[in-house]
Amino acid sequence: MDTLSLLMEGFAGALTFQNIFWVVLGCFLGTAVGVMPGLGSSMAVALLLPVTFALDPTAAFIMFSGVYFGGLFGDSTMGILMNTPGQASAIASTFEGHKMAQNGRAPQALATAAIGAFIGGFVASVVVVFFAPFLAEFSTKFGPAEYFALALFAFVATSSVVTDSAVKGLLSLAFGLGIAVVGIDSVTGIPRFTMDSPYLFDGISLVTVTVAVLALGEVVYFATVARFKSQGEMLKSKGRPWLSRAELREAAPAWLRGTAIGLPFGVIPAGGAEIPTFLAFGAERKLDRRRPDPQFGKGAIRGLAAPEAAGNATTGMAMGALLALGLPVSATAAIMLAAFRQYGLQPGPLLFERAPDLVWALLASFFIAMIVLLVINLPFAMVWAKLLLIPQPYLYAGITVFCGLGIYATSGSTFDLLMLLGVGLVGFLMRMHDYPLAPLIIGMVLGPLAETSLRDALISADGDPAVLFTGPIVLVLYGVLLLVLLLTLRSKVTSRTRRDV
Amino acid sequence: MTQQVAGADSASVEPPSTETAPARPFLLGELTMPLVFTAFATYLLVGLLSMSVPDSVDFPGPRFFPATVVGVVYGLVVLDVLVILRRRRAAGSAHEKQAGKAPSGSTAVGAADTTAPGDDAAPRFSWRSFAWVVGGFLVFALLLEFLGWIIGAALLFWCVARGFGAARPLLTLVVGLTVSSLAYIAFDMALGLSLPSGILGGGF
Repeated sequence: MDTLSLLMEGFAGALTFQNIFWVVLGCFLGTAVGVMPGLGSSMAVALLLPVTFALDPTAAFIMFSGVYFGGLFGDSTMGILMNTPGQASAIASTFEGHKMAQNGRAPQALATAAIGAFIGGFVASVVVVFFAPFLAEFSTKFGPAEYFALALFAFVATSSVVTDSAVKGLLSLAFGLGIAVVGIDSVTGIPRFTMDSPYLFDGISLVTVTVAVLALGEVVYFATVARFKSQGEMLKSKGRPWLSRAELREAAPAWLRGTAIGLPFGVIPAGGAEIPTFLAFGAERKLDRRRPDPQFGKGAIRGLAAPEAAGNATTGMAMGALLALGLPVSATAAIMLAAFRQYGLQPGPLLFERAPDLVWALLASFFIAMIVLLVINLPFAMVWAKLLLIPQPYLYAGITVFCGLGIYATSGSTFDLLMLLGVGLVGFLMRMHDYPLAPLIIGMVLGPLAETSLRDALISADGDPAVLFTGPIVLVLYGVLLLVLLLTLRSKVTSRTRRDV
Repeated sequence: MTQQVAGADSASVEPPSTETAPARPFLLGELTMPLVFTAFATYLLVGLLSMSVPDSVDFPGPRFFPATVVGVVYGLVVLDVLVILRRRRAAGSAHEKQAGKAPSGSTAVGAADTTAPGDDAAPRFSWRSFAWVVGGFLVFALLLEFLGWIIGAALLFWCVARGFGAARPLLTLVVGLTVSSLAYIAFDMALGLSLPSGILGGGF
């Protein structure tokens, strides 16, 4: 019952007028960027990162989590109505969701998505509340070798499991690791790769890189390439925006199965909500084929309900893993980890002891965010679709101005603006040549952790590498990693051999 | 909308009549990223070699981890280039089989097939937009402290909007000034971030 009383205190902290304002603002922003194709929650969090330094940490994180969840609520709207998913986590929902809309069931599809996202997120939040403290306590057993194994796990999983081409993913990751080693070495104090320039002594700011890669590079890419691609036509959504009892009964098991599939992926650093959404979709399709009257391909409500629930369940658990272990599983979570560091907070077991009011207020705000998001998404999905009326030039010009604002406001130097442009151009090139960007961010965030824990472990063992492979936790981690890699390899081979479905 | 299709780099504009020259991206275009990664790794390598580390530092010193990264980058770049070359060869031979028969049915993955007129799948690259957006940001970065936030950001807004093909310059300027002023009020005055006032603030 200790947890419950802590959670109640958290609600007391989160339900102040100010914090409710931030959570609502975060939800609105998140839904907005989720709805608009081409924008995603990682871009929104990256853009907000610099300007939130003026806020107190609790307010900032409450807003971030609103954006993170909101992105997942909003992303399916355009997928359903236009067949253009707002971000990668909505691709799986788009298949059946758009078919439903084509059959004139657009409002029901939107409702299914919103309720699915709500259920997934809500269940995940409950699990996190009871699970995260245990996870945090468990992680006090972690030493340098364990943290190195964890970081290595995240590196390999994000760069090779999620992406189409493992070589490109690993290159992106190595690039991030390389950027992170610039600056004064934290162990010995020796400046590295700085060309004796005082600008580089503190290293290349993570804020600059995230904004450059996720926002500015994206703007350049959109201006030069993506805006010439033809877009689908938007379907109108008319009729009852709620579900009949039969539809509810049809969707309910899929929501729950999706949630169950999504939950474990929040703790596995495999790039966020993309994989579980596809797994949930695939599982529903398999179940559907056994039924006497298969619905898939004709707009199956289950094919939409399951991935939506899975996506938000993963996101909720990912927040738990971030808080309890300090382990980011997606680019958005990585940026939030960076935000914690900027405030001088280190997520992990110590966070629960040192800043309990922040942690519990944040956890409580998850529930508030879910309810706010359900309210602003369920009846008003069509209103959100109106966001597409914003002229593209103004939208992207505004985003660019915001990039400049954030970076100049945090650094106050022209040098950082030029660095922003330079890294942004690299990000643009990577985007153009299909190099995934999330591994870069993960590499940059976790690189220093990997390096210091590797060195700590080796130095304490007099340079004996065997220390990296001793202890049950480490061995389990490497074992799971190996298993994940083998499974990926198998699924890649099988998907290559039968490409149809 | 102006569609300034790039002729130089990303999309090749070879005459469709030539049999053996399939339209596909130039090798240099595809090798851009490997080149960037190589340059970066070389920068790190030079830094590694010129770094002075006292002998007292224990084994995995400040050079160990970066050296690993450099090695990994070089290795992966080689692999990446091999993949690109192999794919080009496969795409090229697929093209040769089809050349003359059906120029629109390109099987090259992601190839810029501009031979088929009005082909939607062909990625276009607009150098004009690139120049407006990147040039605009460069000017903004260099002149921000002189011009001040309101003028500088409005200029940036205007340039990027032009890069996206905004039609009415005057209206765009008004919108840009509104956005930059609102941002100044919200973030400098209300939230206390420091934005430069520049020439507007000089006399006050």
